[in-house]
Amino acid sequence: MRNKLYFYLLIMALVTGVLEKAFSGEENRPSAQTVIARSDAVRNPDRPFRLDLRLTEYVDSSERNEIILRVYSKIDRTSGQFKNLVRYMEPPRDLGKAVLMNGTTMWFYDPASKSSVRISPQQRLVGQASEGDVITVNLAKDYSAKLVGPHDGETLDDADRKPRKCWHVELTPDNDVAIYGRVEYWVEKDTYRPVKGKFYSDSGRLLKIAYYHKYQEQLGVFRPSEIILIDAVNAKLATTINSSGIHAMDIPDSWYQREFLPHLKVE
Amino acid sequence: MTTLIIAARNITRNYRRSLMTISAIAVGTMSMLLFGEFVSQIFVALETQNVVRSGHIALFRNGYYKYGGGNPAAYGISDYHSVIRSIDEDPVLKPMINVVTPTINLFGIAGNFDAESSKTFFGLGVIPADYNRMHRWDEHHLKLSSSADEPLNEKDETHGFIGAGLARILGLCETLKLADCPERQGGDQETVRTESGRNRRDFSGLADDAKGTDSNAEKGLAPRLDLLAATANGAPNVVNFYVDKAIKQGVKEYDDSFVIMNFNLAQQLLYGRGEKKAVSIVLQLHRTEKIPVARARLEKLIKDKGLDLETRELTELQPFYKQAVGMFLAIFSFISIVMAVIVLFTVVNTMSMSVMERTQEIGTLRAMGVKRKGIAGQFVLEGILLGLIGATVGIVIGSVAGEIINHAGLIWQPPGQAYPTPLLVRTKGVGHLLLGIWTGLGVMATIAAWIPANRAARMKIVDALGHV
Amino acid sequence: MAENPVVVFENVTKIYQVGEVSIPALKGISLQIPRRRFSMILGPSGSGKTTLLNMVGCLDQPTDGKIEVCGEKVAEITDDRISEFRAKNIGFIFQNFNLIPVLSALENVEYPLTLLGMKTSERRERSMSILESVGLSDHARHRPNQLSGGQKQRIAIARALVKGPSLVLADEPTANLDSKTGAAIIDLMHRVQEEYGASFIFSTHDPQLISHAQDVFSIRDGELIEHRSEG
Repeated sequence: MRNKLYFYLLIMALVTGVLEKAFSGEENRPSAQTVIARSDAVRNPDRPFRLDLRLTEYVDSSERNEIILRVYSKIDRTSGQFKNLVRYMEPPRDLGKAVLMNGTTMWFYDPASKSSVRISPQQRLVGQASEGDVITVNLAKDYSAKLVGPHDGETLDDADRKPRKCWHVELTPDNDVAIYGRVEYWVEKDTYRPVKGKFYSDSGRLLKIAYYHKYQEQLGVFRPSEIILIDAVNAKLATTINSSGIHAMDIPDSWYQREFLPHLKVE
Repeated sequence: MTTLIIAARNITRNYRRSLMTISAIAVGTMSMLLFGEFVSQIFVALETQNVVRSGHIALFRNGYYKYGGGNPAAYGISDYHSVIRSIDEDPVLKPMINVVTPTINLFGIAGNFDAESSKTFFGLGVIPADYNRMHRWDEHHLKLSSSADEPLNEKDETHGFIGAGLARILGLCETLKLADCPERQGGDQETVRTESGRNRRDFSGLADDAKGTDSNAEKGLAPRLDLLAATANGAPNVVNFYVDKAIKQGVKEYDDSFVIMNFNLAQQLLYGRGEKKAVSIVLQLHRTEKIPVARARLEKLIKDKGLDLETRELTELQPFYKQAVGMFLAIFSFISIVMAVIVLFTVVNTMSMSVMERTQEIGTLRAMGVKRKGIAGQFVLEGILLGLIGATVGIVIGSVAGEIINHAGLIWQPPGQAYPTPLLVRTKGVGHLLLGIWTGLGVMATIAAWIPANRAARMKIVDALGHV
Repeated sequence: MAENPVVVFENVTKIYQVGEVSIPALKGISLQIPRRRFSMILGPSGSGKTTLLNMVGCLDQPTDGKIEVCGEKVAEITDDRISEFRAKNIGFIFQNFNLIPVLSALENVEYPLTLLGMKTSERRERSMSILESVGLSDHARHRPNQLSGGQKQRIAIARALVKGPSLVLADEPTANLDSKTGAAIIDLMHRVQEEYGASFIFSTHDPQLISHAQDVFSIRDGELIEHRSEG
């Protein structure tokens, strides 16, 4: 009888031990998809928000161009992707121009002509329009994730040459509208902060490299306030994207209609 | 002593005048013949060029020809392998066909970013073996040799040709050893638009990964370009493209944007991870005149299998060809009319003078009992003789002149052609042209003689007799 | 007269219309010209003599009146029919010889027979024969520009007679010949008249020819003034 009790106690201990291990494994080894989902959450708030972006373009490491945008972002309930309404604030000659990104469609609005034109995928191959894709991409929604590095992470230098322990994840598209053929992503272990991303085309060529750093508290979460985008096709090009002034706000769905563009009021 | 003999003798009566008339007609005939042969040569050359480039018939998705130019990916032919197989196995079509092959049309941006150059391009994706075979088509035995003779790379999928203008714009003059390619000059420098001046940031440590593409040294001497395009699903895509050669295209817009690449590479670029399709299926026949038969058969095939395809033939695929042919035909017709009018006036003039001089003779003949139509017939016959002798002489001289021209080594550059070619006139297979000119001028001379001949016939006998 | 006259005019009038002006050339002439004789039409210029001859030769139509030649009413028939009539029945001799320059002497003589559709061999034979009669068989292949005036007129006579016409019209046949040649021509014409039995009608000023006239018709101002007949 006493042996049976000891036996049961041993089993219990073992079982609890295994369960404990399992639980702690859940804490220390999340699924790749979870890693991505949580890193997405680090980058972008889950409620509608407004923020200011400063895009600086560098050619051969020399500053060439700078614009300031105000972005109104909201997650579309059906697609799970971000809808973005972008307004140009600076330089003054671009003031009033707007871009509407709704799913895969992009519209450009010019107050001088009061008309909006659709930007075709061909026109988004190079230039500012090509950068928008990287920032707003909602990876968890459109891609399947797979851990390719060690479970407890590999060491990688971030944009400031500081070594970080990161989960190395590979993403493959889940549907036809996912833009990239493949993504390599490094997410800092335990903080779920994205450190680096490499974005590949369907043909397997590297299109862009993104570095996420200068983490600051924005809307209750530490988010990257600067993203460095390096163009892998045109090796002389690089862009830095600085975000600031993030506000949560209610944004009506009507703002994301092409017809609404001429009615945007200057704030 | 037939009317013919009398007519012949009457022609030699005023030797100089007849000679002048015959000469005028001969020159007119010769001009028509030479120009006609020149135009025939152009037609044959144009036909060959265009058949070589785009085949005889192309199959597209319905609507592509009119609306698909801006978005070829949307008009892809899904099951092109089976369509090609059906065509290949069709008993009516098979003997007529030289090549049947799928192709892709796409456009995007070609970049030589190391040289800070990029340009929109129009790409044609072809299967190199088929393309090279199409290039050897020579139904008219022209044996046109040009630099385009170098075959498209059949071994390496990533290789191809671009237009000379595109090569120049992308800064590949030296590497591709292009002639007529001065140092880039002019243009505005990109303005710096920041107020803070030229700040610098060092991205060098971060950008090392970006240089992961093959370097030139690996691939030998062919310079590398990035070809960017949006896939059918709207995603940005880019492939490496190695330029074997820059080939001058006849039309500048074409020359500045033309890329010809491997079909598989084009598929990879245009369709990405999506279903790999073709944009068109091109047929090159053995003989151009078979186009209507082949096209009818294709339409039947399409209808029987319920395919969503349409056919377009040579003149629709190459509207410039049709326009050029139309223009030359118009010019030739114009020249023919002018020549015919000249013959008309010449013969009318000569015969009128002849009639006037022979007024008393006409009266005598009428007195002797020759009827009106007999008189008219006599003069008409003389006119015909002048016309036909002149035409025959003209054709003989024209034929000789044609041979001289063909051996004179003249060259010219026709519109739409990239390189100068020998200036030739077509002397073979133009029998119908010769016959047409000869007969036409004969008819013209008949009509021309008829006016004064009629006048002669209607003369009052007593007035004619009294005419000194 | 033993036979029917070769030419009958019944009240023949010819008026020429020149713009708004009417010129009457013949005013209701009636006459009969006998067969197988040398008949002459005499009259000053402007008398209508030429017009009369043209009517006789069926080269022109009268404005009014009836004309009968060789028994045929020729006043109102088609141009083609009258051409045929002339080809068969009338031979012409002109002041200027009017030979076809591109034809040889023989071919000129043959021409009327060609018009009548005669076979080549027969045509050749007849023509050579008459050429011999006028003494020019040696010149058969010569062109008119190689012949003298007298020779040409002899060819013309041969041509006029080769088809054996009922009627021969001669308009000033001796005008361009010297008197000696003229006399020879007149002799020839007599000979062929006897040989072929043709009726000769002349218009002439030549006194030598007139002296051979058997019938003389004088015309003045479009009217027949006199008809003298001898034997």
